[in-house]
Amino acid sequence: MREITYLEAVREAMSQEMRKNEDVFILGEDIGIYGGAFGVTRGMLEEFGPERIRNTPISESAIAGTAVGSALTGMRPIMELQFSDFITIAMDQIVNQAAKLRYMYGGKGKVPMVLRTPSGSGTGAAAQHSQSLEAWVTHIPGLKVVQPSTAYDVKGLLKASMDDDNPVIFYEHKLLYKTKGDVPEEEYHIPLGQADVKREGKDVTIVATAIMVHRAQEAAEELEREGINVEVIDPRTLVPLDTETIIKSVTKTGRLVVVHEAVKRGGYGGEIASMIAESEAFDYLDAPIKRLGGAPSPVPYNPELERMHVPQKEDIVQAVKETLNRA
Amino acid sequence: MTKLSLPENVTNEKLIGLYKQMWLIRFFDEKVDEFFAKGLIHGTTHLAVGQEASASGPCAVLRDEDKITSTHRGHGHCIAKGADINRMMAELFGRATGYCKGKGGSMHIADVEKGNLGANGIVGGGIPLAVGSALTSSMKKLNYVTVCYFGDGATNEGSFHEALNLAAVWNLPVVFICENNQYGMSGAVKDMVKIPDIATRADSYGFPGVVVDGTDMIELMNVSNVAVERARSGQGPTLIEAKTYRWKGHSKSDAKKYRTREEEKEWRAKDSIKRFKDVLIDEGFITEEKAEELKQEAKKEIENAVAFAKEGPMPGKEDLLTDVYA
Amino acid sequence: MAKEIFMPKLSSTMEVGTLLQWFKEEGEEVEVGEPLFEIMTDKINIEVESYEEGTLLKKYNEVDDEVPVNTIIGYIGEADENVPNSAPVPESEENETDKQEEKDTSSVIGEKKEADCENGEKVRATPAARRVSREQGIMLEEVEGSGPKGRIHAMDVISSKELAQSIRHTPLAGKVADKEGVSLENVQGTGSNGKITKSDVLSASSMQVETTTQEPLEHVKLKGLRKAVADKMLESARSIPHVTLTAEVDMSAVVEVRKSLLPIIEKQTGYRLSYTEIIMTATAHVLGNHRKLNAALIDNEIVYNKSVNLGLAVAVDNGLIVPSVPNVQDKGLAELTVACKELGAKARKNKLDPVEMSGSTFTISNLGMYAIEGFTPIINPPETAILGVGQMTDKPVVRDKSIEIRPMMVLSLSFDHRAIDGAPAAAFLTELKERLENPFGLLV
Repeated sequence: MREITYLEAVREAMSQEMRKNEDVFILGEDIGIYGGAFGVTRGMLEEFGPERIRNTPISESAIAGTAVGSALTGMRPIMELQFSDFITIAMDQIVNQAAKLRYMYGGKGKVPMVLRTPSGSGTGAAAQHSQSLEAWVTHIPGLKVVQPSTAYDVKGLLKASMDDDNPVIFYEHKLLYKTKGDVPEEEYHIPLGQADVKREGKDVTIVATAIMVHRAQEAAEELEREGINVEVIDPRTLVPLDTETIIKSVTKTGRLVVVHEAVKRGGYGGEIASMIAESEAFDYLDAPIKRLGGAPSPVPYNPELERMHVPQKEDIVQAVKETLNRA
Repeated sequence: MTKLSLPENVTNEKLIGLYKQMWLIRFFDEKVDEFFAKGLIHGTTHLAVGQEASASGPCAVLRDEDKITSTHRGHGHCIAKGADINRMMAELFGRATGYCKGKGGSMHIADVEKGNLGANGIVGGGIPLAVGSALTSSMKKLNYVTVCYFGDGATNEGSFHEALNLAAVWNLPVVFICENNQYGMSGAVKDMVKIPDIATRADSYGFPGVVVDGTDMIELMNVSNVAVERARSGQGPTLIEAKTYRWKGHSKSDAKKYRTREEEKEWRAKDSIKRFKDVLIDEGFITEEKAEELKQEAKKEIENAVAFAKEGPMPGKEDLLTDVYA
Repeated sequence: MAKEIFMPKLSSTMEVGTLLQWFKEEGEEVEVGEPLFEIMTDKINIEVESYEEGTLLKKYNEVDDEVPVNTIIGYIGEADENVPNSAPVPESEENETDKQEEKDTSSVIGEKKEADCENGEKVRATPAARRVSREQGIMLEEVEGSGPKGRIHAMDVISSKELAQSIRHTPLAGKVADKEGVSLENVQGTGSNGKITKSDVLSASSMQVETTTQEPLEHVKLKGLRKAVADKMLESARSIPHVTLTAEVDMSAVVEVRKSLLPIIEKQTGYRLSYTEIIMTATAHVLGNHRKLNAALIDNEIVYNKSVNLGLAVAVDNGLIVPSVPNVQDKGLAELTVACKELGAKARKNKLDPVEMSGSTFTISNLGMYAIEGFTPIINPPETAILGVGQMTDKPVVRDKSIEIRPMMVLSLSFDHRAIDGAPAAAFLTELKERLENPFGLLV
């Protein structure tokens, strides 16, 4: 199979869909001739023209609302939010409009749109351009939330998101854009709500999202050398959440460590931990559930501080050992 | 037969229907007012009594495929776009037979098939949606126009400015109708906006802004018609400011301390329904008797709607989780 | 002035004594050296003689009371002297605080245990451990947790179950037991090493049926020496992680040695040399090279002993006592034979002095007179190891690629894994085997 980057996989998924489906278009800031802040739409203006690669004013509320309105009337928009932090400005349109219209209207109308947005720290962009705010949107019934971690996943999940008749918030991780992986050339579909067991193990389950999937796998390799056999699960979509796979794994291992980059307090890890505590797996828990997340501070600028803000491989190794009383 | 200048698509028959429609709007809201006062329906509601012309006028010139977005004070817009008042009333009664199966209530009545993209509980929330709808029309070359209703308060929201600017730069087929009823919840427009006419805000975005007497049905139809045709022919958006007045308070339990009885009296004197009736009689479209007959028909239809609403079943537990996702 | 009667401390490990009987009533005259009362310690029953003469004025304790050492249990004095109505607290301040603390701890533990049993809430255990305990019917209160703050994990419950169930049985016996509803704990095994077989289960099952229809069973309360042995065994089994190693020893050479020395020693001492003494000599010799096995584990400290004092487990009526043979490393076989025979005789007559039962540094338990191959002896704390000696039997063994019949004997070494690891224990047992197979090494 051919290797391409995560970023190229995103672009390829959109391009393939747009070639087939006239209703699909992209709108966002600087996505035209500039190719998007991270270059995701580079070259697409040339192929699809300004009608379908719609460069917008810096108006997140209008971009989001326009996407919702066009979706409600028959289009399938993809809106690119330049940084996921800017969802604050688009929030009314996402939370009060996109998520709720169908329900408020008694099941009439649908909002098939994808909000793609890069999130996460590690680029030195500091507090307003580095956040991981996915937990905010997971709280809103009516939205689906996707967080792919690999080039393969991002293409299949974006295809599924574009096919979905609901508003999907699609988080791309900035540091993953340049990572490579085997990606089929043809289109494929990874169902929303299907977790992926990235590594099988029997001693401890790690549920990790986005870039933390990679750190968890690195930690698992290190732990393997010490005879600790870790299972790494990437939920891939937070809403809907594949609870079954996680419950099954925790029932097997009896131990759970949840890792995400988002600030731990109020993060989605709490949801996963609670879900397990309420589930069948409770009776199989043989250690307290551990959560690792961002520090309770804004994301700092200084690279060392920035690194300290988010869980690193060593933190994951330590957490796993703690659940095994081997720390 | 008439020296009255009217849009082409407003036929004599339609004019008579519009007169009845205005009474339907008024009776609907008055009935709702009564039921709220009696505690027969719960939640909250916002009445547009006095604003019948600004609802009916723009819709009068629309085609079936044209669309509207509405506001929290939106019963009139719904009726003007042809909604079934039975299902509207049922919705206010929270019945499964309502437009939204009892899940939306007063602020969220929508009839997507008939082109009503929905009332909106967020001030200014519907404006970007209208722009999106206009974008669909433009991209799919569907040639429909979207009329976007909002109040004076919404024009101080960021979404108003963002959406109007975007509609302008993309030259979209949308008509923005600002029903300036002089007050937000309690804030007078003169205290909230420094310029005398909201319509002049359109200048900032590079399209026409027009001020119109919001109680003058004929003028509203004509001005709207120009804007709608402009949009339909690809010349972009227009902002119409209809100066009007809400006779009732903002919502239930409003002591209206922010305004005077004298002011209310002045505006009630400019009753849009009466003004429209006078024109229709003067111009020989109807007689006084016919006008009364239409009014009574409207009253009767509202009574029937109430009966329909009360008969409808309540939604059940099984409805709680449906329609969250498509 | 009246003199206190104390609960004597008769050994370094004795903390309490159980009052078995008073030989005198209040008001009776007592001579110095006259037996005044009998107590049971953790090792033996003993009659305590009076240190004073006079009238027994007061007895504060009754039979079966467990009394901490140095506690005043009565007074002897002039017939008309006044003594306190209740036992005074000992004068020594040190003792007082000690005792107070002791009391505090014991009452706290008591409360905790009660609360635990009542609702199970105060046990720190994971959900999985709780589930396993439910499923297996194990009280969490009886499980030792390996996690932080004693948190019980699922494995702890399983291990505790395995410990409790370290009952060897054939797979078929297990199935039959399940089917018949017989608990294997109540079945006597007749297979090798006490392994429970199908027929054992079936006979137990029929006995179970019988017992339900039979006369009420005889209940005998554990007391005296039986109770002392029971407590000691329980404490040892509970607190010491035991590991048992076995090695089979070719006793041909030892048989020869004994044959040669027997008449000599008998002539010299009047006692017949037994294999036990030879094994003791070899053990003492090898222990000199393996200090860890001749040690004590006391309060998280390993104490290495200089001399080799061998405890000899002796079966007596209703119990087991362990007299100690001091300085075995310095004793020749004749001297050792005398010491062993005399101690054994005293033990069987219950005439041992406390001093003769204390100070052992390593214990040997010999079941060679029975049809026992190997077994898992329980350590005599604070010692760190114990050697079990099995029956010597002729067995076919391979020597120089041909089968020969040799007298073979199994040695079973249990050791405290907290103090000793497997490798050093195995090294000791291996060297002991070599020494017995080539006893000339003892002369080196």
